[in-house]
Amino acid sequence: MMDKLIFGRFIPGDSFVHRLDPRAKLIFVFAFIFIVFIANNTATYAALLIFTILIILLSRIKLYFLINGLKPILILMAFTFFLHIFFTKEGDILYHWKFITIYEEGLRQGIFISVRFLVLVFVTTVLTLTTSPISITDGMEVLLNPLKKLKLPIHELALMMSISLRFIPTLMDETDKIMKAQTARGSDLTSGPIKERIKAVVPLLVPLFVSAFKRAEDLATAMEVRGYRGGEGRTRYRQLKWHVRDTIAVLSIVVMGAVLIYLRKYS
Amino acid sequence: MKNTRLQKMVTIGMLSSISFVLMIFNFPLPPFPAFLEVDFSDIPALLATITMGPVAGITVEVIKNVLDWFYKGSPTGVPVGHLANITTGILFIMPVYFVYKRLTTTKGLSTGLVVGTISMAIGMSVLNYFLFMPMYSYFLNVPTETGAVLTKTIVTGILPFNIIKGIILTAIFLLLASNMKKWIQKQQKQYM
Repeated sequence: MMDKLIFGRFIPGDSFVHRLDPRAKLIFVFAFIFIVFIANNTATYAALLIFTILIILLSRIKLYFLINGLKPILILMAFTFFLHIFFTKEGDILYHWKFITIYEEGLRQGIFISVRFLVLVFVTTVLTLTTSPISITDGMEVLLNPLKKLKLPIHELALMMSISLRFIPTLMDETDKIMKAQTARGSDLTSGPIKERIKAVVPLLVPLFVSAFKRAEDLATAMEVRGYRGGEGRTRYRQLKWHVRDTIAVLSIVVMGAVLIYLRKYS
Repeated sequence: MKNTRLQKMVTIGMLSSISFVLMIFNFPLPPFPAFLEVDFSDIPALLATITMGPVAGITVEVIKNVLDWFYKGSPTGVPVGHLANITTGILFIMPVYFVYKRLTTTKGLSTGLVVGTISMAIGMSVLNYFLFMPMYSYFLNVPTETGAVLTKTIVTGILPFNIIKGIILTAIFLLLASNMKKWIQKQQKQYM
């Protein structure tokens, strides 16, 4: 479990989607969430589905990884799909058997809603699967920069996020170590009645907090010694470069939006 | 001279990490539906609030959820669950801060935690009714529960769940605070 979490969901690769600038990907996903809700008929949903399949193909991510996290939701999805089929009573009757009657409108609604749900989940999942958490943070920092005018501390937030990301493996290790030390003394955190678990969690938290504050003090001193002085005029270790492919990605979502609006009106 | 602002930022980062790690060890409470899960991730946020102020606590809640979204994604595409988690955290933390600010003793802390529990339970029931449940229904396309059915879900599920969650967090935090009393006072002196 520890290994799985250290790397998160990010799957390193060298596909077109992997190489895109995180800013482009964030803009893309954000715009996508909006244009999904333009769709309202067969043509628009088909277009969305094809577009999503194209993205998945371009990211060269195995379908297994996409579906993996979906398992608990798939059952719910199937449930709603059938609910729509059996309880919408509009349009022509497609199938009739004893007490089961399937109407055209029900089938249509069931499929539409499942498609909308699938494309939304797949596209947002592709983002987190192809972009490392640290580059998403960098991308967010740049994209949220205009909010600095509203006195929001964007740079500081991004710094705190980067520090958190950096220390997740370290703290994970430490948690693991403390848990083992406590288990050796007979405490059990993962099972047993809630009262026992509450008692077991305090000796785990105390050393974690103390060492985190201590570590923070050291790190802050180290940063200051090296002349850290906030966001203004600071050069970056990880440079973001905007390429032609990023422009293409952003344009593609604009075109997709236009296509959807056109199909919505004229088909 | 020490730069407390920078040190505060770094500490918030660390606490967010701990919060995120604790969020992994979540568990559902048997009688409630699976999406209601108890975890101890609000404890670091509480600690941040009483040692560094409410903004620090809220920041921990926000970063924890953003990290969780990076690492686990959201089954709804749009992270409704994460938004709900941030709101729950804030509703729990803020009353604790306001009560504790006026009465910096164990008594003040426990009163604050009880008020926080009530605010979280009632606040989340109301918000679930008007905001989160409809959002879930919209994005997940579960048939919309409305009116009496939704009220029943909330009164028998969300309200008692949040009260129990609040009691668990209160118990842990009071135990923690009494164990670390001196240490917490030291941090308060340094940061506030």
